Parts: sequence; structure tokens; C-alpha cells
Amino acid sequence: MISVRNIYKSFGDLKVLKGVSTEIQQGERVVIIGPSGSGKSTMLRCMNLLEEPTYGEVWVENSLLTPIDPYLHFDVIKLSNTYKSLFSQLVAEGKSEDVAENEAIAKIKADDLLKKNEGKEYKLAIKSLEKENRIDINLARQNMGMVFQHFNLFNNLTVIQNLMLAPVELKLKTKEEAEAEAMKLLKRIGLEDKRDEYPSKLSGGQKQRIAIVRALAMNPKVMLFDEPTSALDPEMVGEVLDLIKELANEGMTMVIVTHEMGFAREVGTRVLFMDEGIIAEEGTPSQLFDNPQNERTQRFLKAVL
Amino acid sequence: MNFFQQLGTLFSTPRYWEMLMKGLGTTLMISVFAAIIGLVLGTLVAMVSIAKKSRAMAVPKFICNFYVTIIRGTPMALQLFIMVFVIFAIRGFPRELTAIIAFGINSGAYVAENIRAGILSVDIGQTEACRALGLSSTKTMTKVVIPQAIKNVIPAIGNELIALIKETSIVYMFGIYDLTMVATIIGGGNEMSSYLVPMCVAALFYLGIVYLLTFFISLIEKRLRASDKR
Ligand SMILES: Nc1ncnc2c1ncn2[C@@H]1O[C@H](COP(=O)(O)OP(=O)(O)OP(=O)(O)O)[C@@H](O)[C@H]1O
Ligand SMILES: [Mg+2]
Repeated sequence: MISVRNIYKSFGDLKVLKGVSTEIQQGERVVIIGPSGSGKSTMLRCMNLLEEPTYGEVWVENSLLTPIDPYLHFDVIKLSNTYKSLFSQLVAEGKSEDVAENEAIAKIKADDLLKKNEGKEYKLAIKSLEKENRIDINLARQNMGMVFQHFNLFNNLTVIQNLMLAPVELKLKTKEEAEAEAMKLLKRIGLEDKRDEYPSKLSGGQKQRIAIVRALAMNPKVMLFDEPTSALDPEMVGEVLDLIKELANEGMTMVIVTHEMGFAREVGTRVLFMDEGIIAEEGTPSQLFDNPQNERTQRFLKAVL
Repeated sequence: MNFFQQLGTLFSTPRYWEMLMKGLGTTLMISVFAAIIGLVLGTLVAMVSIAKKSRAMAVPKFICNFYVTIIRGTPMALQLFIMVFVIFAIRGFPRELTAIIAFGINSGAYVAENIRAGILSVDIGQTEACRALGLSSTKTMTKVVIPQAIKNVIPAIGNELIALIKETSIVYMFGIYDLTMVATIIGGGNEMSSYLVPMCVAALFYLGIVYLLTFFISLIEKRLRASDKR
């Protein structure tokens, strides 16, 4: 469903992600945990390209969201001028072609040797790969719902308008269809009487539940949650977690960044522990919570549980 | 003649009335056209300066930044002086037009800053939520960001227009027949030979315009608030 391939992300000099790869399968509920600043949100936001990775690729349902990362394609590397000169140099040193090929690629990857201009063939290869695979990001995002820590309901729109904006503007539904669907969703969370309120009049829990159904109004294939309950008063956490659990039971594919360990264990089918920009450990909830292998995971869990 | 007798003379002399109306007309004309130029120019400059950094935008961004810095960093009177005596120092070029251009360019810089600040004051989360739903950056701007920014911007733009109207009074230094100029002419004439009354009357005119403008702006603000009870 979502494939994250060797993602690096820097903000200026700060290296936040240092080579993250993972596959999210349909029906999976992947929970991301880890200390503050470890790059959890950044990784999640790379999945729908709210952050653009510095290196690496993101694929969603076999469509490429990012530009092609040549380092992930040997056949592309082999077309580069740098490779060609390195290869012939190694062959001239008396290495066999197979050895020279492997060494040249390894050296280019290790030392980040590819330049902007690597010749026409190389450029064409990248272009054709992108032409074949790359999808318009706005199209891809329609299938990926996102829920934010701070809700981000549209302040200038009423609740029902919040739910209708995207389906109507993107011409996926007529106004009437979108409104009917929005009412159905509001009924589901018991907030149909709030349809004409502005977000400022709602409690945090109500806002977040509306933010969740706003994403659902697009009929997404996967939902991304970034600490959906961290900004809530404790008494409102439950109602939001319950709604997410409901979605989980319906089989929605989800990626959830959270600090709620009990919830993570309950809904997750797989848990990723992130630390200092990498996935330090991953496994099923019982593997990771009951029997963590990595010393950093152990320390983290000790601190939070 | 005391103050009230002078006031009587001023209002009972048709010639003075005509002069005042003509001066008022010039002041309004310069203000209105300069405001239009300022709003259009300011919006364009604001759009450029909030656009994402890219190679194609580098030069326009630099120009806009330069423009805003220079205009906001130098006195209006000096800008007008340069316009009148250097840039448009063409024989027969109407000074009123020069003034309109000078004030338009000046207020454009302030309007641009107001709009830019208004747009940046809208929480980035609003944009992210829009984009995450698959909406384009244009739709994000027009449906969510600008409607919220307008509320922050209208009062500031109103203040800018008020400042503009009052500041146009310096055009009298360049021989333009505006409200302030008229007041000096009437005050310097033999019949009145006092500046007090004509200046007070001109001041009242300015006050009246500003009051009206303030009223309209508060009306707009109220309507905007009604459509969005935040
Ligand atoms: N837009 C940005 N510009 C600069 N630095 C950023 C930006 N976004 C994130 N960072 C930095 O990247 C690091 C990782 O951030 P991230 O939000 O991914 O961490 P996190 O694991 O989600 O932490 P938390 O649990 O606190 O939410 C932090 O040090 C943060 O300050
Ligand atoms: Mg985070």
C-alpha cells in the first residue's frame, strides 16, 4: 500500500531521518512510537509528502510520489558518467567486470558520488521512470486521510462545510451527495446537531472526531494519524481513541504516531520504534512491548510505561 | 473680524466654496487612484513575496523585497520630490498624475506588507490540512487561507488608506491645488488674512473623510465577522 524506501530528511544541517524503509500492507495498523524528536512525525508526513524527503522514494499503491532517487536504481546508476569512468578505471586496474561493477556501484552509493549532470542517457532513464510511475501528488493525497495533533479544522468554515469542502471542490461528489455523506458521518459520531457551528465553538474531542470524519469523507484507502490525542484534555482522549478503534475494526489501513502505549498495543498489528532518525526496532505489539530486543527500546519503554 | 465672523465670510463667499470643493476633489482624486494602484500593486507584491522559493522566483522576489525596503525606508516627501523633479520632470506632465503614481507606489509597499503579514498569520496547519486532502495550492489559498487572512488584513489596510489620505496633503508643496493648498490660498488672501479659520475648515474636511472611511471599514469588518463567528 505504502512503500517508504530509504528515506533521508534534513532540515538545514539537522539530519532528522537517516535511512528509513518500511512497507505498509493493506489492512495493517502500524503504530510508530519513540522518543520526542526521533523523527516520527517527519516520517509520517513524508508518506503524503507534506515533507519532501531529501533522498529516497515514497510509493503509494505502485505509484511514485517523490522524484526518482537514482541511488535506488542500479540500472540508472550504471548509465551515469561517474559510473562509466569509475568502471573503466577499475577494469583498467585489472579487475574483472563483475567485480568492477559491484565495486563501482558500492563506491558511488557510499560516497554519494552522483552529480546533477550525469549525461543524457542517465537523464533520459530517470525521466522515463518518472513518466511511467509518478503520480500527481494531489491525486495521491485524495486516497490518504491525515489527522493532525492540533485538529486543523478550517476556522472559516462550519462543521458541515469542513466535511464537504474537499469532495465538492475536487468534483468527486455533487453538493447534495457530499452533504448527505457528511451528515451520515456526523450522525455516526453523534455530532449532527453541530453541523452549522464553527470550530471555535467545539471541544477538543469534538474537533478531533470531526477532523477524523473530514478525512473519511474522502473515502481514503489509508489513514495517517499524528498524535491524534496529544493535544486533548485527558477526559476527551477516550472518545477519540474509541473512534479510531472503530475504524480499525472495520479494517481501515492506518499508520498511527502515538504516545498512548496501551492504545498502541491494542490496535496495532505492527509497532515501529523510532530513535534518532531510524527504525531501531519493529515487531508485533507483544514482541515489542513484552520482549524488546534493542537496548534503546527497553530504555524507552521503561521510561514511558 | 473674530473667528465666527471669519467663518461666516468663508461660508458665505461662493468663490471660497468653489475653491474648497475643487481642492477637496483633487485630494479625493489623488487618494482614490493612489489607493487603487496601491491595493493592486500591494496584492501582487505580497503574492510574489509569499510564493515558494524557486529559481524562477528569485529575481521577482528580490525586486519586490528591494521595492518594499526602499519605499518603507525613505520619507514620502522625498519620494514625491524625486518623482516630480527627476522621474517625471517632463514639461507639461500633469503633477496630479505624478502625485497619484508616487502615492500609489508608496502605499503599495505598505499594503504588500500588510497582506503578507495577514497571510502568514494564518496557521500553517490550515494549509497542511487542505493539502493533505488533495486540494491544490490555489484552492487552499482561495477557500481557506485568504478568507481567514482578510479578517486580519482589513483593519491594517484601512489604517493605511487613512494615512494615505492625510499624507496627500504634502502635494501642496508642489503646487497641486488640493484641500491644503486651498486653505493656504484662502488664508493668505486679503479678505481673510488669517490662516486659522480656513485651516480649521480643511481639517474638518479631512476629519470627515477619515470618519466616513472608518465607518465603512468597521461595516465591512462586522460583515466578515458575521459570516464567521470566531
Ligand atoms: N519544519 C522543520 N524545520 C526544522 N526542523 C524541524 C522541522 N520539523 C521537524 N524538525 C525537527 O526535526 C526533529 C524531528 O521532528 P519530529 O517532529 O519528526 O519528531 P517526533 O518524533 O515527531 O517528536 P514528537 O514526539 O515531539 O512529536 C526535531 O528535532 C524537530 O525539531
Ligand atoms: Mg511529532
